[in-house]
Amino acid sequence: MLLGTLDMLVLQTLVLGPAHGHTIAHVIEQRSDEVLQIEQGSLYPALHRLEDRGWVSSYWGVSENNRKARFYRLTAAGRKQLTVEANRWQSMVKAIGSVMQNVTRTAVQK
Amino acid sequence: MSLRRFLHRRRWDEERVREVEAHLAEEIEANRARGLTPQEARRQAYIKFGNPTVVREEIWQMNSFVLIENLGRDLRYAARQLFRSRGFATIAILTLALGIGVNTAIFSITNGLFFSSLHIRDEGRVVEMGFEQKGNSWQPSLSMPEYRELRDGTSKVFSEVIGERISLDGLSAQGSKPDRILTSYVTGNYFQALGVEPLLGRFFRHSEGVTPGSDPVMVLSYQYWKEHFAGDPNIIGRQVAVNSYPVTVIGVAPRNFRGLVTAPQTQVYLPAAMIVPVDNQPLANINKEDNRNMHLWGRLQPGVSRQQADASLAVIARRLAVEHPDSEKDAALRTFPLYAGRLGDLDSRGVDMASAFFLGLAGLVLLLACVNVANLLLVRASVREREMVIRSALGAQRSRLIRQMMTESILLALLGGIAGIGLGAWGSSMLSSVNLNTDLPVHFDFGFDSHVLVFSVTLALLAGIVVGIVPAIRLARANLNLILREGGRGVTGGSSRFRDALVILQVGSALMLLIIAALFTRSLEKSAHANLGFNSENVLLLTMDPSEIGYKDAQTRDFYQELLERIRTLPGVEATTIAGSTPMGLIGNGFDTVSVSGYQLPAGQAAPSMGYNVIGKDYFRTLQISLVEGRVFTDADKESSLYVGIVSEAMAKKYWPNQDPIGRQFSTGSDLTHPIEVIGVVHDVRYQGFSGPIDPYFYVPFRQHYIGNSLNTLEIRTAGDPLEFISEVERSIHNMAPALPVFEVKTLHEALYSPNGLLIFQVAAGLAGIMGTLGLILAIVGVYGVLSYVVSRRTAEIGIRMALGARRGDILRIVYRQGLWIVGIGLALGLAGAFAIAHLLGSMIVVSATDPATYLSVSVLLAAIAMLACYIPARRAMYVDPMKALRTE
Repeated sequence: MLLGTLDMLVLQTLVLGPAHGHTIAHVIEQRSDEVLQIEQGSLYPALHRLEDRGWVSSYWGVSENNRKARFYRLTAAGRKQLTVEANRWQSMVKAIGSVMQNVTRTAVQK
Repeated sequence: MSLRRFLHRRRWDEERVREVEAHLAEEIEANRARGLTPQEARRQAYIKFGNPTVVREEIWQMNSFVLIENLGRDLRYAARQLFRSRGFATIAILTLALGIGVNTAIFSITNGLFFSSLHIRDEGRVVEMGFEQKGNSWQPSLSMPEYRELRDGTSKVFSEVIGERISLDGLSAQGSKPDRILTSYVTGNYFQALGVEPLLGRFFRHSEGVTPGSDPVMVLSYQYWKEHFAGDPNIIGRQVAVNSYPVTVIGVAPRNFRGLVTAPQTQVYLPAAMIVPVDNQPLANINKEDNRNMHLWGRLQPGVSRQQADASLAVIARRLAVEHPDSEKDAALRTFPLYAGRLGDLDSRGVDMASAFFLGLAGLVLLLACVNVANLLLVRASVREREMVIRSALGAQRSRLIRQMMTESILLALLGGIAGIGLGAWGSSMLSSVNLNTDLPVHFDFGFDSHVLVFSVTLALLAGIVVGIVPAIRLARANLNLILREGGRGVTGGSSRFRDALVILQVGSALMLLIIAALFTRSLEKSAHANLGFNSENVLLLTMDPSEIGYKDAQTRDFYQELLERIRTLPGVEATTIAGSTPMGLIGNGFDTVSVSGYQLPAGQAAPSMGYNVIGKDYFRTLQISLVEGRVFTDADKESSLYVGIVSEAMAKKYWPNQDPIGRQFSTGSDLTHPIEVIGVVHDVRYQGFSGPIDPYFYVPFRQHYIGNSLNTLEIRTAGDPLEFISEVERSIHNMAPALPVFEVKTLHEALYSPNGLLIFQVAAGLAGIMGTLGLILAIVGVYGVLSYVVSRRTAEIGIRMALGARRGDILRIVYRQGLWIVGIGLALGLAGAFAIAHLLGSMIVVSATDPATYLSVSVLLAAIAMLACYIPARRAMYVDPMKALRTE
């Protein structure tokens, strides 16, 4: 997975509402049609980092399976940060896209 | 990361554990729901999740000050490890303590001599002024008129210029017997310019010290106040007499202020102009341009550099040369850093060199110690290889393992450093108490200050890195799989070439140390038996200065005349005389510029400065210096008659080559009105130094030069042990002058062991000897250690060899071959090294720096001891039981 994108993905997942770690991991995997396989363990340091920066907050709650679980919620600052990162991501995708388009065209011409 | 997080990280960690557990439970349940078996569901969940411990650790570290925490953990672990192998730790710590201790002791001397604080304000801004006239060396001496010129002409670069003149005087309190003191006559601004505050009373005022006799006030040094006045708190206002001249005590200097010239140390301070009445100096004499005997210092103005001050001084020197061509021609002035003049001489290069040299030797000893400890650590590393491999396999980073091993070796070195500082303190207190064989207040304080501590701790840290880095790196590079497969017979100890190189280095260094020690010892022996040109056996010396009890010139002359007559008649006295200077002595040592009539000086050279001695008529008979031609002084050579002198052979040869010097004339700079006629030539005498060419020298009779020369040594040649005559001679002196202080009472033989004479060789030989012995022991331990290790590793091989029919002699040869190889190369390197550095010794040794006998005998000695050290492991190898050896394999 691209460096630094995990944070963005986690933030994006939380736009829908609070979720605990396990849900977050599964949502990312499913939404990407299982393309993005994350080592689930690495999610927790990332969540810790996000909370440390004030982009998410957390509380203990009960999961759908009736288990005690830690839920994460997007904060206002996190929402803003998500916009920033999404914009950056878009422009990067665009940039890479235009580079790659050129390559495909030249490859076709040959 | 916040401190709050840091403090609550344990709770955080617990929460993470629960969170992760919940996650895994969910995952397992999801897997079960997909129809997996419980075990498979669990396995898949863990695979998907990764290592929970690593996750916990990562989060924990996010909440920690990682470096500090790891350091703390490493230290605790290292301490436990060391405690567990106490034997190893003790040996390593002691070895390092020896190395660091020697360095600490030697450094404390250098520091004590040059760099310890003088306890004055803003020390770095005070500089000493030096004077030079073409052809001579830089002197820390200037005259009173020069002081005034400098004070008034340099206000742009110096905020203050201070002067100090040192003299020996006699101090008596309330009619008691006078005590001989070392006095500093200082300018009125002295204490204020140095920013020193009095402990009691007050210091001098700016106006004091200008007009002769108008300020009979005195300041005591703390040490003199304590020793001589028992620290009397009511000392201020006390009337005392210096050379019978009444003065009043007005202040006591603080304890840590010991003046700017620290050897010898001032006991009493008087205002500069007081030298006129107290020392009975004619004012005209003090005001002579070339009567240079004052130390001058300046405090640099803020923002002014020494270079700028030097430029200012050069301008003044040029002006002086124009205004006073007789005395200031070709004069040059410049500044010196404060430490350069601390031993009372600007040319302390000899002492610098010696300090650097001995620090170098001490460095070698430390190197030897480090090698031994590194070797021990290497052995230990190979024992602990499995531990490291397992930790590495469990996920420990190599950098962490290296850091942890380094922590261990640095901890070891710091412990060694602490023990070493203790050893060094003991060593330097021993060195501080070396008997300097003089009554002068020469007191060296080689105590510990922050400089010494910083030096020792830095050295310990360096040693820790040096000894730890190699085993640590080797371990980090080790191939884990290989080690695990080899079953503990690891790689870190495997390549013995590196260990051999270390021991070769040790043998070489030890040989260098021993050769240098031997060169010093031989120098001491040779100097002690050198022909100095006189017979030092059976001569008693007693020094005195009648001006200390207020005698004036004529009175002093008559006193000595009478004293010599009385001593001469004592039974057992063969000859007696007085003399201003004694060979290798600290007092006297007069120098004067000499111009020889008829001798053309080479262009651009100032008149040479020459040593001379003011002597009684029986001087040559007393010291048994043989007369080459002409005659010695007689009673007929008095003030009213023609001024006469006797020259040394060296002087005769230089100024009157192939001519008869008798009847020739020369004159001295201090007394141009009385040309001196040569009446005799005597054999050369070594007054200073034991080697090199002997400088020209001349003698003049006391009867013609008694003015200003009241400080003399009474020299008596006795029929038996000179020490038995002391009480009788002192009685004779005190019958004539009951209050006269008599000091430096010793035999001429003892007097040769002064800091100017044999003492320096004795100290050098002692120090080098200690370091050589330490080096030898360390190297032998090294040789023994490496061979023992080799034998232990080759036990199986030796067993096989023996099983195949090798005899014990063959085994012995195998072990010895390796030992010989190491010792041989070590010796060769050591010889080359000693050859290279012995030349640096220069005049510190009087034997040849490449003396073959020394090199050969020391090499043979070291080789023999090393071979002996090889024998123990070789013997162990010889008696290996093949059956046992093979079975353990």
